[in-house]
Amino acid sequence: MKSRLLRNVLGSLLSFVLVMGIWQAIVVWGQVAPYIAPRPLDAFRAISGDWSTLWPLTLWTLRETVYGFLAGAVLGVVFGIVMHKIAMLQRVLYPILIVTQAIPIVALAAPLVLMLGFNLGPKIVIVAWIVFFPVTVNVLDGLTHVDGDLLTLARVLGARRWRTFLVIEVPAAIAPLFSGLKIGATYAVTGAIIGEMAASSGSSLALYQHNANANLNAAAVYGTTLIMTAIGISWFLLIVSLEFWATPWRRRVTARRRRIGGKHK
Amino acid sequence: MSQRQIRRAVLALAIASSSIAVAGVAASAATPTNVRFVYDFPGPDFELTPLVVGIAEGIYQQAGLKVSLLFPPDTSTTSKMLTTGSADVGFITTSDMAVAVQAKAPLVSIANYSMSNNWGLFAKPGSKLTLANLKGKKIFSWGDTWTNAMLPFVLKKAGLKASDVTVVTASNDIPLLMSGKIDFTTSTSNYGIPGILEATKASPVSIVGAAAGVPNVPVWVYSVTRDYAKNHPATTRAFLAATLKATQWAIKNPAKAVADFVKKYPKSGYSSFYSTKGWGITVPLLTNAQGKFFTQTDAQWTLLANGMKSNGQLKSVPSASTYYTNAFIPQQ
Amino acid sequence: MALSDTSLNVQRGSFVSIVGPSGCGKSTLFNMISGLERPDGGSILIDDRDVTTRTGQVGYMMQKDLLVPWRTVLGNITLGARLTRRLTYDDRRRAVDIAQRYGLGDFLHHYPMALSGGMRQRVALMRTLALDHELLLLDEPFGALDAQTRFEMQQWLLSVWRESERTVLFITHDVDEAVFLSDRVLVMSSRPGRVVDDITIDLERPRTLGTLTSAVFNGYKSQILEHLHGRVGP
Repeated sequence: MKSRLLRNVLGSLLSFVLVMGIWQAIVVWGQVAPYIAPRPLDAFRAISGDWSTLWPLTLWTLRETVYGFLAGAVLGVVFGIVMHKIAMLQRVLYPILIVTQAIPIVALAAPLVLMLGFNLGPKIVIVAWIVFFPVTVNVLDGLTHVDGDLLTLARVLGARRWRTFLVIEVPAAIAPLFSGLKIGATYAVTGAIIGEMAASSGSSLALYQHNANANLNAAAVYGTTLIMTAIGISWFLLIVSLEFWATPWRRRVTARRRRIGGKHK
Repeated sequence: MSQRQIRRAVLALAIASSSIAVAGVAASAATPTNVRFVYDFPGPDFELTPLVVGIAEGIYQQAGLKVSLLFPPDTSTTSKMLTTGSADVGFITTSDMAVAVQAKAPLVSIANYSMSNNWGLFAKPGSKLTLANLKGKKIFSWGDTWTNAMLPFVLKKAGLKASDVTVVTASNDIPLLMSGKIDFTTSTSNYGIPGILEATKASPVSIVGAAAGVPNVPVWVYSVTRDYAKNHPATTRAFLAATLKATQWAIKNPAKAVADFVKKYPKSGYSSFYSTKGWGITVPLLTNAQGKFFTQTDAQWTLLANGMKSNGQLKSVPSASTYYTNAFIPQQ
Repeated sequence: MALSDTSLNVQRGSFVSIVGPSGCGKSTLFNMISGLERPDGGSILIDDRDVTTRTGQVGYMMQKDLLVPWRTVLGNITLGARLTRRLTYDDRRRAVDIAQRYGLGDFLHHYPMALSGGMRQRVALMRTLALDHELLLLDEPFGALDAQTRFEMQQWLLSVWRESERTVLFITHDVDEAVFLSDRVLVMSSRPGRVVDDITIDLERPRTLGTLTSAVFNGYKSQILEHLHGRVGP
């Protein structure tokens, strides 16, 4: 297990180095002017050089991403459960939810700014908008695919509906839930950035990048992109770790927690 | 071969080569030089009128030029399109030029578009907004080098720090202004006034130019890369000469000029009212005190560069000649 | 109609099998006994208590083990209790006892995915036992297992039944299995099902491999097969 983790980490490091290498090669051999595209090291230097400005901006974008993600996750779970329990709602809601995803997010941004102002509001809405749908679909699927015979067995054993829901349906939906959360996590940062691009007042990575672009500071532009990517990757990895912790039965043979309780095990 | 055959062959060859030569001369006289002109904004608006007129009224054609109008994907890409060879002549702000030179992009300004600074703050008609009560207000910015260059001057004149106001950067100002989400928008008078006039049927509250505390430097210039100027001096000169003619024509015939613009860009998103009003405000700005077009000065560039250095946009102030040349401007 | 008039009396502590062709109403019978379906007429009585349409009165086990993958063996055994109330220390203690007594004590903290088909069915039976119901309904519990495992499970089931002293109703397609396991075999006809024969199996317990090939065994077997498929032999 440990060696597999090590191999995965090494693999990721290798691909990172490879990408940086290709980038450097293109810029050097193509003799690309530094204000068109920087070398990888220059981009990193631009980040570290202005870190005192960039760190608070990064935190803001992170905040938008996380709050929006949590809102979207909760919304997604609620929709999934409600649509599973009430067939009529599923028939009415599902098409509407699909339409929400068909609307280009960029088109949403301007009206949201008019409604909610320039701060966290529109960004959180946009991120939640993006995140809730894969969560809803996966939770709904998970709940729908609980073995009907298992539910019958629960009835035979005298279980009330809400207990069956808590003890069987909810745990059954956890693994699919994480599938949905992982998808949402990868797109969450994009949503935050789109929100920032639509309008921001000061604390915004996107604005920093916009200004850098206007000043022909390509190193800072690429550097900011690296930061945004890092936020996305970190958040995704966090969700994956959470999944690992929450679904031990998928990779372990025995449970780590062995509670029997009372005086002795 | 016999003597007669040789003479016939030589004659045939002579006729053939002279036909090709004649055809060649005729062809080069007939083929105009392509000039790709790139604007500073993703879509066309009335400041493009001289160029539109030049194309529509055949003025460029008469000069042996075929001018095509290109648009950048966003407001920060025009400089890059020039340096990568995607375009030949560009329309940029003077602050963009200063930033480009600092980034060692080899651009040079060949002519002023307008001669003075008509930039400022605009608010809804009837709002009691002045520099005196600027504190705590929300000011719109396009996030471009020009707005970033000018705003610190406004704050200085109002005696405020950057933290005393909220600068909001977005892609569209009028809806935000109309809904009261921002107090001021920033623009040049030829855009700001028609825009708000059209939305509210009344003139906006304006704080422009010296009243806003900004230096009196031209806003827009025509520019090319240094390489282009070196390799195509005749074309550059011809282009400016024809553009001058077209500009003068558009000033003399404003209604027809706007009609040409609307005909070329029916889907520009701007009404005839807006374009007419805008071009009307632009016209007086195009000539200097001596009534001349295009002519640039050392002073304008030094003033701008010093201003941009004082607000931190430039690290140093190079000599003015690094920014411009008047060598291609036609006699007036 | 799936089931025609049927009347059934099962003695406490006995092992009764039900054999019959598909669609003879065996499952309908179980559904009614377990309270899932209401009979068109008549009632279900357990120890003189009317439990018609009342669930939670019997233990139930199917061909699918229906173990939930996210709970360990211990967690699955206690699942029945968990579905009706909060778990107590006693519930868990009982589950440990059952697992140890019937041979899965070393696997208490394993996840079901790590177990073989036979072991999983054992856990399923333990879950059924843990609820302490007198009557157990087993619906073809070994149908999905290979012949070797099935024989082991049959022996194991008999020892569990003997040890726990429960009453078992057992549905099967396998005539050998029915005769081998039961005190009594009910043979049902095809739809609409009714009991066409009620055979008392008079074989000594404990039943062994030898029982399987004895003449008495074969006699019962022929009798049942005749009902199911027509005359056996010339």
